Amino acid sequence: MAKTNMSSKRRIVATVVVLVAIVGLFVVRLVDIQVVRAETLSADSLGNRSVENTVYGSRGAILDANGVVLAGTVMRYDVQVSPRNAKQFTRTVDGVKTTVTVPEAAAEIGAVTGQTGEQIEAIIADALADNPNSDFAYVSKKVDVDAFRAIYDLEIPWLTFAKSPSRVYPNGSVAGNLVGFVSSEGEAQAGLERGQDACLASENGSETYERGADGVRLPESTVTTDAAVDGSDVITTIDSDLQFFVQQALAEQAQTTGAAWGNVVVQEVKTGKLVAVADYPSVDPNDVSLTEAEDRGSRAFTAPYEPGSTFKALTAASVIDAGLATPNSQVIAPYRYLPANGANVNDSSNHPDLRLTLTGVLINSSNTGMSKFGEMLSDQQRYDYMTRFGVGHVTESGFPAEEPGILRQPEDWDNQTAYATMFGQGLTTTALQVSSIYQTIANGGVRLPVQLVSGCRAADGTITNAPSEEGTQVISASAARDTADMLEMVHQEGYLANVWDIPGYRVAAKTGTAQMPDGEGGYTKGYLVSVSGFAPADDPQYVVSVSLADPVNMNSSAASAPIFQEVMSQVLKKYRAVPSGAAAPDLSGSW
Amino acid sequence: MSDNLARVLNAHELRPDATERAGAGAQRHIEIVAPSKKARPRVVYALSAVTCVGAIVVAQLLLSVGISQGAYEISALRASQVELGRTADSVSEDLIRVSSPQSLAANAEALGMVSNSTPAMLRLSDGAVLGAPTAAAGDQVGAATLVPNSLLVGVPLVTQQSAGGTGASVVAAAPEAAAAAPAAAPVAAATGSAAAAAVAVTDGLPSPTTR
Repeated sequence: MAKTNMSSKRRIVATVVVLVAIVGLFVVRLVDIQVVRAETLSADSLGNRSVENTVYGSRGAILDANGVVLAGTVMRYDVQVSPRNAKQFTRTVDGVKTTVTVPEAAAEIGAVTGQTGEQIEAIIADALADNPNSDFAYVSKKVDVDAFRAIYDLEIPWLTFAKSPSRVYPNGSVAGNLVGFVSSEGEAQAGLERGQDACLASENGSETYERGADGVRLPESTVTTDAAVDGSDVITTIDSDLQFFVQQALAEQAQTTGAAWGNVVVQEVKTGKLVAVADYPSVDPNDVSLTEAEDRGSRAFTAPYEPGSTFKALTAASVIDAGLATPNSQVIAPYRYLPANGANVNDSSNHPDLRLTLTGVLINSSNTGMSKFGEMLSDQQRYDYMTRFGVGHVTESGFPAEEPGILRQPEDWDNQTAYATMFGQGLTTTALQVSSIYQTIANGGVRLPVQLVSGCRAADGTITNAPSEEGTQVISASAARDTADMLEMVHQEGYLANVWDIPGYRVAAKTGTAQMPDGEGGYTKGYLVSVSGFAPADDPQYVVSVSLADPVNMNSSAASAPIFQEVMSQVLKKYRAVPSGAAAPDLSGSW
Repeated sequence: MSDNLARVLNAHELRPDATERAGAGAQRHIEIVAPSKKARPRVVYALSAVTCVGAIVVAQLLLSVGISQGAYEISALRASQVELGRTADSVSEDLIRVSSPQSLAANAEALGMVSNSTPAMLRLSDGAVLGAPTAAAGDQVGAATLVPNSLLVGVPLVTQQSAGGTGASVVAAAPEAAAAAPAAAPVAAATGSAAAAAVAVTDGLPSPTTR
């Protein structure tokens, strides 16, 4: 018994010793890995496994009133090459291995991107010449999805790809001057892209995830460090179909008459919304280089001009609102009028003294007749009316770099300017301001804020930045009605009656032929011809205001009248403005 | 204690007073004590414990294989989602390009349609014509190229595509369409007036049924 006790004890001891040795070995190894080399090992492993990914937020879209996309975001891809690794490689096609040399690969890439193989090889060679260890050069920037897939399928090992979100303008030049454009880096440069950048801008987010050696994401390892924020959409009041039509009509006539530039504004009378603002020349934001730099903006907002005779409607409305005249008030209009303060006013063409009513002054567009009516108001009173009509202030549209025009204080008016402002010279307005004047007259004397953007719509549908829709009563409703009636007579009886007639409809309109300043205190030989009007005259719905600058082939308002006729016809047709059938007023122009 | 369980128990060691009783009882039968069956269950317990541990380990391995399999599936689905997303992008870009007004106008002209700038309304309830209708003179022909769209460069017209196109694009085809359209316009006007004379309106004009 003593022997077996001893042997069993020895066995026990031996086993325990062996166990302790093994465990000790493991402990040492464990301490070594977990404590001594812990940081280096885990840093190494994370560096190999963890991937940081940019999650792109997309820039907001610019939409028209009906939701048509005027500016949107698309994903484009940059094709990059690693020049130092650009060597020949083997490609397996249907189990057959072929060797592809660099020139062959370059030619294959070029076939997709539109470059030649030599150009691509030159890119690689230039990069290596600069830096023999160069690992990065662009082959082609911003290729679209189909091209990207085609190049990706070539399986060229020394190419990499990067995503590059980019702007696309599906309708081309339609509303191009309004929408603006972005630079190749995505910076907004003009138009609504720039003015509404706060609404449109997006933020990229990032996420990290860990992946195994074969590239598969390890489950439960995605960590979003920053959430991406998409931009909000800008909803404009423009109707893109009408905008397209108006741009065509304007461009056609502007080219026929040889105009330097032109614009057309179509505004809704009862809401103040701009349904079309066309500029000539127009810019296609997809390819801005096709247009001269000075034509890439919207002159309707940024180029004020002396409005000329279309401004007479404002003067006539002011005089009637002040109770100093009616459409039948009588005056004698000579060719040249020399008022007491020393100014010199004359009409556009020589004529004997005419016996005109206020209506007739507008029909004949007589400067002298207008002066005799305008001087019934003091300069300050006329200035106040002009300010309330919006002259001299930026409109409420919010377009970037919009000009307010020039309207000097009445005490700064010299004697000639005091009279010139009665018929639209000696002050400047933009096309928007002229349209707003006619909108006020058409809307019973209530001026509504000019609206281009109706709001900024976030992804969840909430609308912010909705503009105010409060109107101001500038002249009385009866003064507005009287002025509208007189303008209807102008349309009916004026010298362009055959050109701008829209059969079946009652239209109110006025022409303007203003001299353009030469920048040195005098005027050039060219004219800025314009037509502004609204229809239907008894219950006006839309204002159309056309301006053409220096139409060398036809230097009178007859140049812009056909545009007015076409655009107003289309507007009435599109918005189903049915003629009421009521008879036109019968105001006589002479006595 | 790793004793030999089958060892015969010495009567002395076990029950010291048994000998007296044996001596007294004289014919106490001494048997070899069979190995107690209670010993076996200990092996079973050990085996079952080991088996359970093994089963747990195996189950854990299978679960992690399953999760990893899921990760591979997710990766494959993600990849196909990206591919499908790219296809959707490509196709929707084609769609917005084709639905641009320049494309529509050029294709309409190529198909022989003519625009009309004098508005007239037709009231369906009684067939009354409001406004002053005139035959379409196609005065907007060719004007679409004045408002260009550089996205359409190289995109063939509908008529060219169905004819197995020679590649005349939307942009270039407009002047040819301009020549074709005035020829089409008198034909359209003639058939229009003939049709108007033939149909007498009785109970309102037939309205199209739309779904």
